[in-house]
Amino acid sequence: MSDNHKVIGRSVPRIDGPDKVTGAAKYTGDLKFPNMLYGKILTSPYAHARIVSIDTSAAEALPGVKAVITHKDVPELKYGLSPARWDENIFCIDKVRFVGDKVAAVACVDEETCYKAMKLIKVEYEELPAVLDFRHAMDEGQPLVHEEYARNINTEIHQEFGDVEKALAKAHHVRTDVFVGQRTYQTPIEPHSSISMWEGDKLTIYASTQSPHYFQYYIAREFGMPMGDVRIIKPYLGGGFGGKLEPTGLEFAGAVLAKRTGRPVRTFYDRAEMFAHNRGRHAQYMEITTGVDKEGKILAAKANFIMDGGAYTSLGIASAYYAGALLPMTYEFDNYKFDMFRVYTNLPACGAQRGHGAPQPKYAFESHLDNVAADLGIDPMDIRLKNARRPDTVTPNDFQVNSCKMKECLERAREISGWDEKKKNLPHGRGIGVATGSFVTGAGYPIYRTDLPHAAAFIKVHEDGTAATLYTGSVDIGQGSDTILCQMAAEAMGYRYEQMKIVAADTEITPLDFGAYASRQTYMSGAAVKQAGEEVKKQLLEMAATMLSLPADDLDCAEGLIFSKSRPGKTVTFEEVARKHFVLKGPLLGRGAYTPPRLGGTFKGAAVGTSPAYSFGAQVGEVSIDKETGEITVVGIWDVHDCGKVINPRLLHGQVHGALYMGMGESVWEEVLFDDKGRIKNAELANYRLLTAMDMPPIQSEVVDSIEPTGPWGVKEIGEGSTNPTLGMFSNAIFDAMGVRVNSLPLTYEKVWRALKEKREQEEAAKA
Amino acid sequence: MYMPDFDYHAPQSLAEACGLLAELGNKATVLAGGTDVLHKMKVGKLAPEHLVSLKNLDELRQIRHEAGRGIVMGALTSHNTIYTSKLLQERYLSLPMAAHTMASNQICNMGTVGGNIVNGVPSADLPPILIALGASIRLVSTKGERTMPLEDFFHGAAETVIAPGELLADITIPDQATTGSTYMKFGLRRSGALAVVGVAVSVRVAGGVLEDARIVLASAAPTVMRAKGAEDFLRGKKISDELLAEAGEKAAGESRPRDSIRGSAEYRRNLVGVLTKRALRKAIDEGHV
Ligand SMILES: Cc1cc2nc3c(=O)[nH]c(=O)nc-3n(C[C@H](O)[C@H](O)[C@H](O)COP(=O)(O)OP(=O)(O)OC[C@H]3O[C@@H](n4cnc5c(N)ncnc54)[C@H](O)[C@@H]3O)c2cc1C
Repeated sequence: MSDNHKVIGRSVPRIDGPDKVTGAAKYTGDLKFPNMLYGKILTSPYAHARIVSIDTSAAEALPGVKAVITHKDVPELKYGLSPARWDENIFCIDKVRFVGDKVAAVACVDEETCYKAMKLIKVEYEELPAVLDFRHAMDEGQPLVHEEYARNINTEIHQEFGDVEKALAKAHHVRTDVFVGQRTYQTPIEPHSSISMWEGDKLTIYASTQSPHYFQYYIAREFGMPMGDVRIIKPYLGGGFGGKLEPTGLEFAGAVLAKRTGRPVRTFYDRAEMFAHNRGRHAQYMEITTGVDKEGKILAAKANFIMDGGAYTSLGIASAYYAGALLPMTYEFDNYKFDMFRVYTNLPACGAQRGHGAPQPKYAFESHLDNVAADLGIDPMDIRLKNARRPDTVTPNDFQVNSCKMKECLERAREISGWDEKKKNLPHGRGIGVATGSFVTGAGYPIYRTDLPHAAAFIKVHEDGTAATLYTGSVDIGQGSDTILCQMAAEAMGYRYEQMKIVAADTEITPLDFGAYASRQTYMSGAAVKQAGEEVKKQLLEMAATMLSLPADDLDCAEGLIFSKSRPGKTVTFEEVARKHFVLKGPLLGRGAYTPPRLGGTFKGAAVGTSPAYSFGAQVGEVSIDKETGEITVVGIWDVHDCGKVINPRLLHGQVHGALYMGMGESVWEEVLFDDKGRIKNAELANYRLLTAMDMPPIQSEVVDSIEPTGPWGVKEIGEGSTNPTLGMFSNAIFDAMGVRVNSLPLTYEKVWRALKEKREQEEAAKA
Repeated sequence: MYMPDFDYHAPQSLAEACGLLAELGNKATVLAGGTDVLHKMKVGKLAPEHLVSLKNLDELRQIRHEAGRGIVMGALTSHNTIYTSKLLQERYLSLPMAAHTMASNQICNMGTVGGNIVNGVPSADLPPILIALGASIRLVSTKGERTMPLEDFFHGAAETVIAPGELLADITIPDQATTGSTYMKFGLRRSGALAVVGVAVSVRVAGGVLEDARIVLASAAPTVMRAKGAEDFLRGKKISDELLAEAGEKAAGESRPRDSIRGSAEYRRNLVGVLTKRALRKAIDEGHV
């Protein structure tokens, strides 16, 4: 696309690249402070048990142990992420609700002593019957995970838009399918870690967090402190994908241990503890019914879901709403009904994982749509094109869609994947599948109720103008937001990227930003940064106008040079003007803030899924299947996205690759497994099968030209949304290759093999 | 996860190592690459009072050919050394290729063939191909040494005949008349996967007839096992696809897999059949690969 941007739209090198590749980057777990202690949390070995007694005396007597705390030593106030259901205590009071529930914590002179001390804490439990199967959690007579939630119902949603039954009655074809999604875990490479320390009444926590602001808010609330006395600092972070959005026992216990001992305390999870803390993808039962006309136009859809929430709410209410809210996004239909139960079980709590709530329902819907297409004898690509959402439309659940190139994404994916050719010519055992996805570009409303702006930024131009520092509360968790926000700042100021510095994600220094979730930062933090940059530029041009004796509106600034638009050759450097500004007027600062407009309808839950803009994308994948073993080889993937204006193409495609990597894992390889006592069987990386570089297929990632009218420079999101089509795309490619449908995730080799075997047996029986 | 306390020894010679092991008896655990031992200690499955590291015993780190004996490979030879050994690549490429299916690069730099054998689990990738190639091992202790076919070393789930105080010194692959061999591993991803099932075969082919064959299965029974019924069935028969498929079915029938986190018994039995058929075909057509 032709435009005259100098800094955005280019694949500039990452601002954190040199630090990361040389190993100079320090993550929370790398930090050391004088006198620092190590803290660990003792957790429950039982899925459901009453705590009869806790005796910490032997642990306290162990040399090197500086503090041992239990529920008696911490506030009783329940916390959580979804304000509608604060249901967690720092430490369990009378019962534990899953294997891994927090019971006590220790602070010791070293890590080894922590493990020894934990062994010496005697907890007497009385085991209770546990709810391990979410499909039966609501049954009569099941034990209750939380006494106050009857039938273990954590969240119940019943929404209807239009008249579904009427539309189904008129439909040419109605079909119902049932799919089941599995539990997966985000598995960021960096384990959670936090270091807490006090100076008088002020608490500072270095944390591996996706949102310093939410940490600050929830920690201040829990301890009854003013937010100003809680400082959260995010060092380098090794991925989060939704799992590091909320404070954990690490911060709460760490803060109390640090207070007790008067020393900094580092608390951390190891890999197995990360799996137990979880907050990953919910397992889900999904029944979908659709009615279509003769041509495959969708007239109505009905979704009936149950979700395994685990023992606590986390962000799960939002996950439950998202599961239904985003379903009517990529295809247009007017009649839609969504019923959902999110139930409690005695398993680790689930929360938000990349694509929040949407990928599994998308898997179900996209698989179902292919079944419908097969029933009608329509090409899967054609049925999607027929129903594809158009720009400037409103979904049945009241989401305003502005830019939308769903159709173009599908058409381009069809072209570059060689769809039509392959559809005709691929042999049995080879298959090609398509699916669509879309996602919010930032949530329309914050997680807790507040009227604060969602993002803010300042820019300080250094006194001699040779550098400018962007201060932002936004959070680079590896996705590259520090880089692109510096690009955006430089573009807005008319400056050079290479001279940008950034200070990010420190609640005491940087202005408010809600952080890295809901794929929001390029748009929302970017809007604040753009405004701050423009404020700098305005002041600069005014100063330059005086210096050059020209009107300010005749001047512009790009790449560090201020020039006259009417008289070529009349220039002055950014540096000179900035210095002059400092001398005559004081510091050159720019400020910006972003608040989304009021969005969405008025029905219950209308807020979840609202966003100022939505991304769209189509993925085509080709697989080859070994008929004797079920082994799936991914031949290639073609991804085409409508994500608005691209700020940094390399980082954008990096997000697509990363999302595909995760989506592929969820499709075929990853699943958290439990034994009959609710213990995780594979809380490690040998049997929780993340894919390796060796498994990645060739990927062609493209974008369609698109500008979102509401976004800074027309941006939308890419990070989370690109996970959404993948699961359904795999399901459909396998279906195309083999003519069998695996109705549960992950679509493992063994399940494919079994489906083929059953098909063969049925065919043989039919012959006989 | 943390290490229980232990004392550490790093003897300078094989004799010194044997002496130490004799003295410490079952209080000691031998440490080679540590990729199994340290993991077990961290997860609380093993808590030895002493670790006796073999790291200084360079004499156990060589691969050489001895006339009349065959290829002798020290127990401390790492997976990556096996993978890159010219000698092995020329004679029995199937062994380097088996090593290449293992773990990840980091583990392959640390893990040793001796550890892979003595650890004794049925999913180990090197014993099947070594047994297919008729390898024998030499165990040494202060009491002397003994040599035995590798297949006699294993006797049950993670049980071997090694006695406290004994060290595995080396492995010998005899000079042989086989015309081909290979190891096929079925893992659930392309790297860092343990075998759902592994099948090693060696064959002796002459004039379209399978004069002899060995079929050795990993992850198909409580211990690495030979599918002797299938071997007997094949011996002396004219090669055809039907024959190999039938041999696969026989091997599957002999196997005794169980349900595990990586696959059901039924699925694994199916894999034994498929992999046996394919491995035989490959070794027959392509030689030692
Ligand atoms: C991430 C990971 C992936 C893995 N993937 C694979 C895989 O794909 N395939 C596979 O087969 N294995 C795999 N393993 C297991 C392991 O790496 C191998 O079994 C390796 O060969 C063990 O060798 P080591 O030298 O590390 O053994 P160690 O851990 O040092 O020892 C293993 C056992 O053998 C004993 N021992 C070692 N050497 C001797 C000796 N010379 N004499 C007497 N006793 C001895 C030890 O006392 C111990 O009981 C994996 C392990 C990890 C951690």
